[in-house]
Amino acid sequence: MTNTNEFINQLASKLGRATPTETPNYVASNVPQYRLSNPKERASIFLDNWQALGGKGAIVESLEDTVQCLRGWFGDLLAAWPNKPQAIIAWDLLPTVAEYAFKALEWPLVRYTQAAQTAVDRYSLAALAELGVTGADRGIALSGTLVINSHPQRGRAISLLPPRHLTFIEASKLRDNLFEVLEELASLGIPPSAIEMISGPSRTSDIEMDLSIGVHGPIEVYVVVIDD
Amino acid sequence: MTMYNPTIDQRVDEALANDFLRLATRRATDRLRNNKYKATAELGDWEKWRQAGETIRTHVVANLDFYLQQLIGQIEKQGGHVHLAKTPADAIAIVRKIVADNNSKNVIKSKSMISEEIHLNHALEEDGSTVIETDLGEYIIQIAGEPPSHIIVPAMHKTRQQVADLFEPIAGHVLSSDTPTLTRFVRLQMRERFLQGDIGITGCNFAVANTGSIVMVTNEGNGRMVSTLPRVQITLMGMERIVPSFRELDVMLNLLARSATGQRLSSYTSILTPPKRASEADGPEEFHLVILDHNRSEILGDQTFRPALNCIRCGACFNVCPVYRQIGGHAYGSVYAGPIGSVITPLLEKDWKTWGHLPYFSSLCGACSEACPVRIPLHDLLVKLRARKTLSGHTPQIEQQIFKTYRYFFTHEKILRRALRLGSRLQWPLVRNGRISGGPPPLSNWTKSRTLPKVATKSFMQMWSELNP
Ligand code: SF4
Repeated sequence: MTNTNEFINQLASKLGRATPTETPNYVASNVPQYRLSNPKERASIFLDNWQALGGKGAIVESLEDTVQCLRGWFGDLLAAWPNKPQAIIAWDLLPTVAEYAFKALEWPLVRYTQAAQTAVDRYSLAALAELGVTGADRGIALSGTLVINSHPQRGRAISLLPPRHLTFIEASKLRDNLFEVLEELASLGIPPSAIEMISGPSRTSDIEMDLSIGVHGPIEVYVVVIDD
Repeated sequence: MTMYNPTIDQRVDEALANDFLRLATRRATDRLRNNKYKATAELGDWEKWRQAGETIRTHVVANLDFYLQQLIGQIEKQGGHVHLAKTPADAIAIVRKIVADNNSKNVIKSKSMISEEIHLNHALEEDGSTVIETDLGEYIIQIAGEPPSHIIVPAMHKTRQQVADLFEPIAGHVLSSDTPTLTRFVRLQMRERFLQGDIGITGCNFAVANTGSIVMVTNEGNGRMVSTLPRVQITLMGMERIVPSFRELDVMLNLLARSATGQRLSSYTSILTPPKRASEADGPEEFHLVILDHNRSEILGDQTFRPALNCIRCGACFNVCPVYRQIGGHAYGSVYAGPIGSVITPLLEKDWKTWGHLPYFSSLCGACSEACPVRIPLHDLLVKLRARKTLSGHTPQIEQQIFKTYRYFFTHEKILRRALRLGSRLQWPLVRNGRISGGPPPLSNWTKSRTLPKVATKSFMQMWSELNP
């Protein structure tokens, strides 16, 4: 509608000067940041905070650990899921341990991006699935947060539409605080089309301030921290 | 949307007589406020974080032309479309056209205060589109046909039974009013809508100037649905809602989540740089950012009120305000309630006649300024707004008359002495137990909720002259 130059010029005149041509500088105020001393502590605090938000989680050291953990969480459920071959929907490529674990368990994975031709069909698949499986690019210990970048071989609906979301993250990808994560993201240049930061399950307190889990997004969230 | 027609006094009286509303408002604001205290205490030196927030916001607002230009350039480079709207009517026309061009019938929305500010839903529905609010609280008030009563918890004023009653005609059967039942109903109901939505409309908590990204926080995940599933995404943004780069997001997101709900981060924080890349499976193919001015540029040009543009809409000032805590949001009559609403509404709407009462919805205790994560001196701005209103001649006749009379007496000593003597003799019909109560208007405006001390039998002036003969 309004022309950009006109709009910007009007603001410049309100500010009583010409629009700067270089990025204006300012002196940022320092803030005290949360820091942990070692990776072990970081992984365990990340897990504590994730669990405090209502998520389930485990730190695994081997393939056997991983298999056992998945069987414990989903073994019984899987038996009851009606549409078994389509029940678990996943990224095209999961972290290696995860790939081996699903193979060892002989649980079939539907690869989201290849599973259907159109967006609508993919969404339906994801909405009917029982479990979405992804990896994560980073994690934040202080807030129990997973950080997941979009990518052609991933699909954003996997962590959103199924009632359960399972993520694998290497312990080396965990950071202490949001600032460190943002610094790393800033160095990527053009950001991916979506960076999703997920801290626990979907929640709302909109009815009489009564906390309720899973109004829109996943109801149950699981994380496997791979000790690398 | 329907604005409230009752007078201000009626609205306030109604609010004060509504016991559930007052209980619910107090309960909710107490909870939010206490959660905030916990979340801010653990950060170490919270004052340093506030300082940092104020520095960032002040810098951005002082260079808003530069950062907006940069943001627009980045978004266009990435294939997004930017639309600049001077007025709410412009913004509505822009959104209407995008919806019509896409032949869209199913519009799904996540929370956007700008859409409330411009009254968007009504316009789109007139054009024959179905518009669904997907945030649970917004959905409840959409069905009820009411404006939000709190900026973070919009349906705070509704009881669970009222919510169940609103949902029942849609469900077609009786619903019990426990939270899990109501939430499950919304999950199922909304699923279909999400999958069918062809346009998603979102709000914007921050836009990142140097990457052309928009940042959106939600707890329910509806913001992700709306920005992931539909083919077209429209984001509505107030023009001041910018940060220079990813780095500043650390301070801003910490301040926002902790001040709004006491969380370390909201459940979902999305940093989106749409449209989706060609090879990606999910995300909008088409992206429109609508940037609204609506007299924000006037505020920018006004040194006194410019800090009001620093607001990050966290709602912390609502939760500590003794006025808001008594009357809730609807009594204000405006889309933005609470202390910040009282500051910006008269400035955005430029209408003293309708909104001139708002700067008086404050005890000037300063709790709002103390709570504000970006250190906006809200109580100070409220006083200055009162002065602005008075100087522009918009105070009621009766008030002007009272102050004229006051000036007359206090500049004429002899007459004042005589009047005080007379007053102490004539006041007796109004005096009960040594205090003045009742009486005709305008006196009754004061005495209906409190009493006045009676005029002393011997005035101070009299005593003084006796002591210093
Ligand atoms: S004025 Fe301050 S406290 Fe109030 S909503 Fe805005 S940022 Fe939050």
